[in-house]
Amino acid sequence: MLILARKIGEAIKIADEITITVMEIKGGQVKIGVDAPPHITIHRSEVYNRISEENKKAAQEAPLDLSSLATTLKNRS
Amino acid sequence: MTSAAVQKQDAESTLTFNTSRFGAIEVDLDKIITMTTPFPGFPDSRRFILRPHGPESPFFWLQSLDDPHLAFVVIPAATLLPDYRPKLGAATETELQLEGAAPDLLLILTIPPGQPEKMTANLLGPVALNPRKRLACQALLDPSLYELGWPVFTDK
Repeated sequence: MLILARKIGEAIKIADEITITVMEIKGGQVKIGVDAPPHITIHRSEVYNRISEENKKAAQEAPLDLSSLATTLKNRS
Repeated sequence: MTSAAVQKQDAESTLTFNTSRFGAIEVDLDKIITMTTPFPGFPDSRRFILRPHGPESPFFWLQSLDDPHLAFVVIPAATLLPDYRPKLGAATETELQLEGAAPDLLLILTIPPGQPEKMTANLLGPVALNPRKRLACQALLDPSLYELGWPVFTDK
C-alpha cells in the first residue's frame, strides 16, 4: 500500500481523472473530497462491503420453492 | 415464408443457458438484462434474466446467465413499499441511460432457510433497472436513511 502524508487542502491525483483532496480534519474525522468523472462510482467501503455480504447471503439462501412465500405475503395484508 | 426461415429466425433471437435451479432455459436475446456495474460480491456476472415466479406470485427470480448457480429472489419495490422512492444520484442515472425516466426498482430478498416469515428486503441496495434499455445496476444508498435488512413481515 502506498502511504502519503497530506495536509488540509493538499490532494492526491490518481491517473488523469481522479483527484482526492483532504478538506478538513476535526475530532478524529477526516473530510475527503473526491473529484472524478461521472462514470466512476464512489462508495464508502463499509457500505459496499455490507451490500456485498448481504448479496452473497441472499444468493446462498435463496430457496428453490417460493410458493409458500407467495402465500405468506398475501396473508400479511 | 418457409418454415426453415422461421426456424432460423428463432435460432437467432434466443439462446439457451444452463441454470442450477431451472435446468436449461431458453432466453430471448432482447430480454437479457445487462449490469452496467456487476453486483458487489459477484464481479463475473454481467447478464441476468428476470423470471416471474408464477402467475399469482409477486416474486421474481433474477437469474444470472453467466453463473448457473447465482439467482436472487426479488420483488418490485412498488409492490412491497409504494412510497419507497430513493434518490439514486446522477452517476447511476447516467449509467443506466435513464434520460429523466424513472427506473424500475427491485428489492433483493434474503430468506433464512425454513423461516420465510423472517425474510428481509435490502432497501440500502435496490436494483435499479431501465426497462427500455434493459440496463441495471445495484444502487448503493445512504445507510443512515435505508436498511440493509428490512423485515418484510414486521408491522411498521
